[in-house]
Amino acid sequence: MIRILSVLIAVLAGSLVLLGYFLPALQPVQNMLLRWCIILVGVASFLGVFGLISVHADRIRRREKGTPYSFLLFISLAAVFFFTLVLGPNHPVAHAVFNAVILPTEGTLMALLAVTLIYAAIRLLRRRADLMSIVFLCTVVLVLIGSATLPFGELPLIGTVLQPWLTQVLALGGARGILIGVALGTLTTGLRVLMTIDRPYGGS
Amino acid sequence: MFREYEPVGAGNLYRMNPASDLMSGIVGFILSLFVFSYLIGDNPLFRIATYLFVGVSSGYICALAWWQILWPNLVQPLMFGSLPVRMALLPPLLASGFLLMKIWPRLGFLGTPVMAFIVGVGAASAVGGAILGTLGPQLWAGINTFDPGLIFSQGSSWLGLLWNGAFVLIGTVTSLAYFHFGAHSASDGTVRRLAWIEWLAAAGSIFIAVTLGVIYAGVYSAALTALIERISSLLNFIL
Repeated sequence: MIRILSVLIAVLAGSLVLLGYFLPALQPVQNMLLRWCIILVGVASFLGVFGLISVHADRIRRREKGTPYSFLLFISLAAVFFFTLVLGPNHPVAHAVFNAVILPTEGTLMALLAVTLIYAAIRLLRRRADLMSIVFLCTVVLVLIGSATLPFGELPLIGTVLQPWLTQVLALGGARGILIGVALGTLTTGLRVLMTIDRPYGGS
Repeated sequence: MFREYEPVGAGNLYRMNPASDLMSGIVGFILSLFVFSYLIGDNPLFRIATYLFVGVSSGYICALAWWQILWPNLVQPLMFGSLPVRMALLPPLLASGFLLMKIWPRLGFLGTPVMAFIVGVGAASAVGGAILGTLGPQLWAGINTFDPGLIFSQGSSWLGLLWNGAFVLIGTVTSLAYFHFGAHSASDGTVRRLAWIEWLAAAGSIFIAVTLGVIYAGVYSAALTALIERISSLLNFIL
């Protein structure tokens, strides 16, 4: 019963939202369903965090390896959630937490990427030195040299001709192909869900 | 119990005090060093920083979901809205209750229709977005590259525009061919793609390599900017 109801709800809601893109008369219904969906996604985010808490609570209960880290995660999550919920996201405490933990950690993880990307490029040359890898790395070097601010100005051929041609012509063609491929994949996956061939919500 | 939510704006941001600034600076400095310690390998300091980051971010996102989605769209209208508004919000309120049943395995089945609703609406939005947001604009941009009105209005550079447009078109078609995995059985029993698709895919691999190279260079530039910013902020804090 629940399975049949789930399939019906998915098909009906999905069809109404999809038709709303093409039939103006259905746009109010589409907007209403999207608003409901946004609310439910907000509730689902609580479920996601509850899942995270339950995984780490299990680790603490069983005293597995890494328990102190799980305890740290649990305490920090609970404290930040409680204070931000009660005081509001504009309160100085919430701002201080954002500026002290989230901003510097995100920035430093991004900074680490500069090192790991170089390491990955070296590993690529060692493990797979074929034409595709060589074209890839040559493009990286030419684009970086062409877009860098050098003390003596732009490099005559690379900065003025080669780098713009690579980024605005060759890469545009490849990116358009990839984008169309991704859109066709999304279209197929979405239609499979709406036609009930795939039922990721557990209605199979 | 809860403070009224006010959207972030120039007038309603609370002023930070110097002590809070100093504490934020010290904690941020220590966490940056912990994260940078990953350069010498995975270690407890890096794990402390990442677990703390995941915990704080999850708590913050959860609270933001309450203040920016649930409070203004559901709870506040239900508490203070007119009767028609309250009636219109009863279905999502009921659905939220069923969705929260997913916490208990025995009652989890009650949340399945709500998950089906979210997946159905999400799939329809993805299909609509793919057609109207990607396929349509990208195909029109490809067609417009060869619009005679646009090309010949550029004066003497029309040949260059046609040349570049041809390269973009070849890149698009061959890149799509690279992702074509339809295959046929050959006479020797092996399964492989048609020869002309193999050729197109080989050309497409060059375009894809160039595209990924340009994306890599962009991400590397951003990462390098972040590295410079973090090092300069660490030095500024010490000095």
